[in-house]
Amino acid sequence: MTLACPELTRLEPILARYPAREESLIQVLQDVQRAYRYLPCHVLEQVAARLHVPLARVFSVATFYKAFALTPQGETTIQVCTGTACHIRGAERLIDELRDRLGAGPGETTADRRFTIRTVNCVGACAMAPVLIVGDRYRGNAKPAAIGDYLSEGGGGHAH
Amino acid sequence: MPTLRVDGVRVTVPAGATVLAAARAAGAEIPTLCHHEGLEPWGGCRLCLVEISKPGWTGEGKIVTSCNYPAEDGLVVRTSGERVVATRRVVVDLLLARCPGTPLVQRLAREHGIEEASYEVNPEPTDCVLCGLCTRACDRMGVSAIASVSRGASRAIAPPFNQPPPDCIGCLACAEVCPTGHIAWSEADGRRTIWGRVFEMQRCEGCGRPHLTAAQAGWARARGAAEQDLRLCDACKREQLARTLRAVSRGETVAAQAAAS
Repeated sequence: MTLACPELTRLEPILARYPAREESLIQVLQDVQRAYRYLPCHVLEQVAARLHVPLARVFSVATFYKAFALTPQGETTIQVCTGTACHIRGAERLIDELRDRLGAGPGETTADRRFTIRTVNCVGACAMAPVLIVGDRYRGNAKPAAIGDYLSEGGGGHAH
Repeated sequence: MPTLRVDGVRVTVPAGATVLAAARAAGAEIPTLCHHEGLEPWGGCRLCLVEISKPGWTGEGKIVTSCNYPAEDGLVVRTSGERVVATRRVVVDLLLARCPGTPLVQRLAREHGIEEASYEVNPEPTDCVLCGLCTRACDRMGVSAIASVSRGASRAIAPPFNQPPPDCIGCLACAEVCPTGHIAWSEADGRRTIWGRVFEMQRCEGCGRPHLTAAQAGWARARGAAEQDLRLCDACKREQLARTLRAVSRGETVAAQAAAS
């Protein structure tokens, strides 16, 4: 499995940080998710072999937690809060605007892999509804017309 | 040796026994789906719910899964009270909504007086009740080729990446323990197919029937199984044993019998 796959080089420093046993699995997967922005199949196979965990169990954990993705995620995650307050105050219009601009809806990643769009049920900032989070940057009273600015100003990091 | 009372019947069970074992010893009928004598208790199917209380407890008893609750001295267990039956009924009702076409679940529903599910019926009916017997049997074999995948309504039992499982040895343990026959497999022309993987079979040296997969034999060999244990199928092994016993009972030596066969 270590054949012509330069991508695996990013895995080595991650594996080096943790003891090679089952208890390290979630931490390793979190770091893999951060490094690759998803969990590639061949990396999971390698993780299973190196931590001595059955591949079926690795896949089970990888599909259980929402923090893990099995498909490539965008550089920046855009989260649209669709909690009650945000819903009332137009979260749907933010989603429509994002779809128009980026050609991707909730749960999808733009073709250029720059953005992944997700909805969240509530971020606990109802007073600022509707809330849009670009990367780590929270935008309260978000307006569809300002989405171009939000995107160009960026998020200053990843949201995971 | 704890002594407890199950539906008014006093029963003494060995230390370490479960309430389920005690209740069954006392003659109570408790339905289960995820329970298997050969596997650790799991508490997954929630059908074995009973109500327990202890002397000195006030108020209502506690509803617990009997399969993994230790039998304690002085415990009072009710297996068919109104509260237990009503709670268990909800579990069966949910199962019926998930598996509307599964005979085993339909039978359970009938036994609990449910004609049709009171919940929205699964748009993609399945025979999998998610009892976890298959994955636990596979783990117990030391293979762990399949596991529970995803969660919530989309949870399922599957091999990694939903592809033919690389670790599977085709032993059929999963299909064997499946209570609903959901795990499909087939055998033809010396090949066995399960989970989308095709296994070459090894033939019994006695009767010539294919009796285990080459992967299974290799797996057993790697764990120190003797070659003679892999040569014959179970039926032929029994026959050989019977022949040996007959020889012994006639006073022939086993060695002579072995030489003759």
